[in-house]
Amino acid sequence: MKAEDCSIPRTPSRALPGKYLTFVLGGESYGIGILQVREIIRPTAITPVPQMPPHIQGVINLRGKIIPVLDLRARFGLAAPAVNDRSCIVVVQVNTTESAGVLTGLLVDSVDEVISLSDKDIEATPEFGCRLDTRHLLGIAKVGPTVRILLDLDRIVGDETRAQV
Amino acid sequence: MNSIPQEAEMPIVLNLASDGELLKEYVIESREHLNNIEQGALLLEEHPEDADTLNSVFRSFHTFKGGAGFLNLVPINHLAHGLESLLDLARLHKLTLNAERIDLILRGRDTLRQFIDQIDAQLTGAAPPAPIMIATGDFGRQIQAAMTNEPEPASSSQQTEPTAAAAPSAASTVKVETSKLDSLVDMVGELVIAQSLVAQDFNPQAAADPRFARNLAQMARVTRELQRVSLSLRMVPIRGVFQKMARVVRDLAARQNKEVQLVTEGEETELDRNLVEELADPLLHMIRNAVDHGIENAAARAAQGKPRAGVIHLRARHQAGGILVELQDDGQGLDKERILAKAVEQGLAAPDVKWSEEEIFHFIFAAGFSTAREVTDLSGRGVGMDVVRRNIERLRGRVEVTSTPGQGTLFKLVLPLTLAIIDGLIVTVGGQRYIIPTLLVRESFRPRREMISTLQGRGELVNLRGRLIPMLRLGEQFGVKPAASSPDEGIIVVVQTGASLKCLLVDGLLHRQEVVIKSVGEMIRQRNACIAGAAILGDGRVGLIIDVNSLGSFPVSFGARAANN
Repeated sequence: MKAEDCSIPRTPSRALPGKYLTFVLGGESYGIGILQVREIIRPTAITPVPQMPPHIQGVINLRGKIIPVLDLRARFGLAAPAVNDRSCIVVVQVNTTESAGVLTGLLVDSVDEVISLSDKDIEATPEFGCRLDTRHLLGIAKVGPTVRILLDLDRIVGDETRAQV
Repeated sequence: MNSIPQEAEMPIVLNLASDGELLKEYVIESREHLNNIEQGALLLEEHPEDADTLNSVFRSFHTFKGGAGFLNLVPINHLAHGLESLLDLARLHKLTLNAERIDLILRGRDTLRQFIDQIDAQLTGAAPPAPIMIATGDFGRQIQAAMTNEPEPASSSQQTEPTAAAAPSAASTVKVETSKLDSLVDMVGELVIAQSLVAQDFNPQAAADPRFARNLAQMARVTRELQRVSLSLRMVPIRGVFQKMARVVRDLAARQNKEVQLVTEGEETELDRNLVEELADPLLHMIRNAVDHGIENAAARAAQGKPRAGVIHLRARHQAGGILVELQDDGQGLDKERILAKAVEQGLAAPDVKWSEEEIFHFIFAAGFSTAREVTDLSGRGVGMDVVRRNIERLRGRVEVTSTPGQGTLFKLVLPLTLAIIDGLIVTVGGQRYIIPTLLVRESFRPRREMISTLQGRGELVNLRGRLIPMLRLGEQFGVKPAASSPDEGIIVVVQTGASLKCLLVDGLLHRQEVVIKSVGEMIRQRNACIAGAAILGDGRVGLIIDVNSLGSFPVSFGARAANN
């Protein structure tokens, strides 16, 4: 790791109050803005694409459109349980810096619920230094005793579509 | 009455926020008018008195001017007004449209197009909002001059008052956004899949019920027809490109003092809209070559006993599920010996090999071959031909050349009908299905062990009837474990890439199928250049389309390395 990697500026909470869809990934609870969610589908046959990193599972046919499927567990380095009957693909539509309305599927362990978050529920992502890259997080939401990690999908998907090599 | 405002050097400042929608419509309309003007001007060159054409060009300028005035695009308004006045005089038989005036009209039209292009660029965000400044001042003077110096008063023989010609009937067409068409095609594709799944799934006992079976068959027919119709919505005649070429030939021939006639055939041949646009560029290169190097000047032609005027034939027709575009000139033809000598000199060809005529002609498509001045001067051709080949290959087509010294050259472009559909050969490797464009497949066979030899322990060659062709194991390229452990258990598919061949080793062939090509998205494309796209197969699953040209040009570890970054 290079030194400058440590100096990632502390990101204030960029999460807006509103409704979030929460889901489970490797035992942790995550949330994404409901407005970005297009639909939730059962896992269908994913066609693997050669020479992809492990977190790009492949492509699926979404009613005639071909969309890539990201495995967020692999993306975040979480343990990967086998796909079970609660697994889903959450289809999201995000705006990257290059193009608007990119459809992407996210493979998740299970979908939880839709929660409403107000300003006071949301906190900025705490600093973890080098151990954790928090650029892809919008903030942390407190829901009762538990926390939900709010994801910045525009950045997650945008980074995947930008030139890699 | 027709005074031209002299001072027209005013920049255009667009008000994108308030006029955005109006400007968009103006740009779309203007492009149609610009086309109409160009075609009309070319017609008028041959028939300067043609009242219908005069009226139609006049109307185009008039509408152009009106719109520009409304949107306060002052320089456009002035220029269009000047040209309109010129045409008005011609319409009233007060002046004749000689070659200079036609030239002026065409140049004015080109300048108008520059304005429209820049407005368009700002509308789409391709260019930052900035004042648009294109010099038009000189036109005012030239138009004034063209209107005043009256070489010969128009003959009064044709005094037929221009009838209030009916506007070109456009009522029978509807403009639709392409994205809507695309989603229609997507949905119809899904309907076809759903229909075939229903047909496969239904209870065999029900097959005994003739009414049900009949209805099912009827549904199959209707969906197939629906698919055919929806795909044909994107088809347009090739006429637009051919007309552009007419203009190019005219301008080039005039500049080079050659007499060249362009004869077009099959302009009504329909092909995909995108393809028509993409075809313009390569055709332009080839036409330019034909006029520059192919057709001799009048004196040289006369010395050879040929007619003074060279003829270039541009033909299009449907052939074998694709489209064939032929460009034939009656010029001097390609010089085989010179090309081969040059190819050997540049290290493209081994010296002591007997090359077939086809192979020799293919050297002109090699990158860098075009820069050789001697070849372009002596034997003609070569300028930008590698661009032509690459463009055509990108359109999943191929180029063939035949040439007879002294009699001319014939280029054949074999293209698919559409970019939206390909005829694909579906192959399997390690349980995965991949699609190879059938247009590029030469043959397929099960190899015998002795046909394959290795090269330095790494490369593999297939000896196919005496011809040595490099072999790529698709499983290895794509990191999937093939079912066939040795080549003689698999199938070799021979594919054409440019002038050379490649052998792809796969597990087996499934079938041929017409598939609708879809994009795989940036995420995939940037990591694997060997995937040209994807298609939805008969069972609703996704199959990947292989780009055989890129295959093997990247090291196998390419994707793996990208993943680690």
